[in-house]
Amino acid sequence: MSATLPAQPVRSDAPRSPIRRRRSRASAWLYAFLAPLAVVIGFPFYWMLALSITPPNEIYRWPLRFFPATPTLDNYVQLFTRQDLQIGRWFINSVVIATSETVLTLLVCSLAAYGFARLEFPGRDQIFYSLLFALMVPTQVTLIPTFLLIRMFGWLDSYQGVVLPGVAGVFGVFLLRQFFLSLPRELEEAAVIDGASRLRIYWRIALPLIRAGLVALVIFVFLGSWNNLFWPLIVLNRLEMRTLTVGLTVLRGAYGADQMGLVMAGAAFASIPVLVFYAVFQRQILQSITLTGLKA
Amino acid sequence: MHTSYTPDQPTARPGTWKDWRWYFGNFLFVVPFLTLFIVFTLAPIFYSIYMSLFDWEILARSPRFIGLGNYADLLNDSLWWLSLRNTIYFAFLTAAGNAIFALAVALSVNQPIRGRDYFRVLFYAPVVLSVAVMGIILGWILNTQFGVLNYLLMWTGMPAVPWLSSPRLVIPMLSVATIWWTFGFPMLIYLAGLQNIPETYYEAARIDGANAVQLLRYITLPLLRPIIMFVAITQLISHFKIFGQPYIMTEGGPGRASFMVIMYLYQTGWRFYRMGYGSAIAIGLALVILFFTLLQLRFFGAGADEAN
Repeated sequence: MSATLPAQPVRSDAPRSPIRRRRSRASAWLYAFLAPLAVVIGFPFYWMLALSITPPNEIYRWPLRFFPATPTLDNYVQLFTRQDLQIGRWFINSVVIATSETVLTLLVCSLAAYGFARLEFPGRDQIFYSLLFALMVPTQVTLIPTFLLIRMFGWLDSYQGVVLPGVAGVFGVFLLRQFFLSLPRELEEAAVIDGASRLRIYWRIALPLIRAGLVALVIFVFLGSWNNLFWPLIVLNRLEMRTLTVGLTVLRGAYGADQMGLVMAGAAFASIPVLVFYAVFQRQILQSITLTGLKA
Repeated sequence: MHTSYTPDQPTARPGTWKDWRWYFGNFLFVVPFLTLFIVFTLAPIFYSIYMSLFDWEILARSPRFIGLGNYADLLNDSLWWLSLRNTIYFAFLTAAGNAIFALAVALSVNQPIRGRDYFRVLFYAPVVLSVAVMGIILGWILNTQFGVLNYLLMWTGMPAVPWLSSPRLVIPMLSVATIWWTFGFPMLIYLAGLQNIPETYYEAARIDGANAVQLLRYITLPLLRPIIMFVAITQLISHFKIFGQPYIMTEGGPGRASFMVIMYLYQTGWRFYRMGYGSAIAIGLALVILFFTLLQLRFFGAGADEAN
């Protein structure tokens, strides 16, 4: 199309149009708002990292230094060697719990979502709409009975006790069902004619097509599990079964008064994996959450 | 092809044996979910109501039926009312703050300026932190004696402020910390809504000579109103569940100035093992939240009508 248009005259010395000028003045105002805001939002991240390499005698003194005079890795060394902290083990616990909760949730919810979206059986829609009512009941109501149930199963201080109660989330089914419903039926019909089974169509055709929904759910479930405090706090009591998030509250309780650098090293260690993950996948993460915000 | 069938249509005529086998195979897709849902969500909801009618202390004695006794106690329990008042105060402050602040930020990073993607990425970053990390960092920044905030205040010649140890300031400061931590999510929801406003509306208004303020006042905000409502109420509901921030940053203090309902539930259930009374607390909070959820459904229904 541009080929049919006459070339625009380009004059570098031309005065900028009034609209352009107004626009650049507006963006100056925007930067005046956004730049200080970026400092406020970003500073706590920097401060965590800076304090984690600051020796104790520099933290508890006045005036503050924004970069340690004698940076040290001693806080990190202590973090991994102190007997009363099992940060390596807590990290493994968190990885195992968050990963298994994510995988199980994705599997269970996508199967059910596909069933509710595409496969017919008597009472299907009645069951689905009664699930939506359960979305209105706050999860806090289930805490005490579920805890007693887990205790009865003998699952206190176990991975399955933390993971299983969270797997069947109505939100996940609701979200993925919306994505399945928006797929064109013809693709699946073609596969049926080719003789593919229901399970195969779900796994090989439908699931790969709702990638954006799955990504959003992975992020919500993984971060929710990794960052969860209340449930692991009451289900996991033995020191070596703690998750990182619960372990950090222990760390802060024990050393918050006189070893803030050590506590900050723990906080940095706990958040660097998720921050790196976020930095690598930020474009996809922001896109799929925005998309999900529209669907839900 | 006339006889082609979609996945949810049985191969045989309805009502035959083959038909029911087909339905059963379909039903199996939802069985894992329904099983877990019934065991860990549905049954506990009803069991919680049942338990709230008992004097039920685990590790102590066997449960004793007391009817609505727990609820009668709750109505006379000053700690319950205090924690509920604190929670409602916190939830309203944080929801309003988040709804307004995230809107201002979303409007700014929706403009075609250089580097806006970096701003978006940075502004969403705090959301991925755990409440423990957030509480540790911001708790220390707000520390009266060694915190950065007071350092800056004193540098400008003002006296130090006991941010988290003053009964009057503690809930507003927990709210500010929570907004820092969570505003990225409503920001993304607003951005999604802003992208849905057709560019032609703005072009038409600009041709009529509208300035930036008028565009905002007469196009953006009215069209965004349903989303602002949605954000405000979902934020309110989610912040009623506050637990981690005061648990880590203030332990409910000073005194009980930041003591919240879920902390009371935690204390009752897992410090004193009073599971019956704990259930009554949980149901009491659930009723408050349910009230606002119904409000949301009403507003959201009305909002959807307006958008058309």
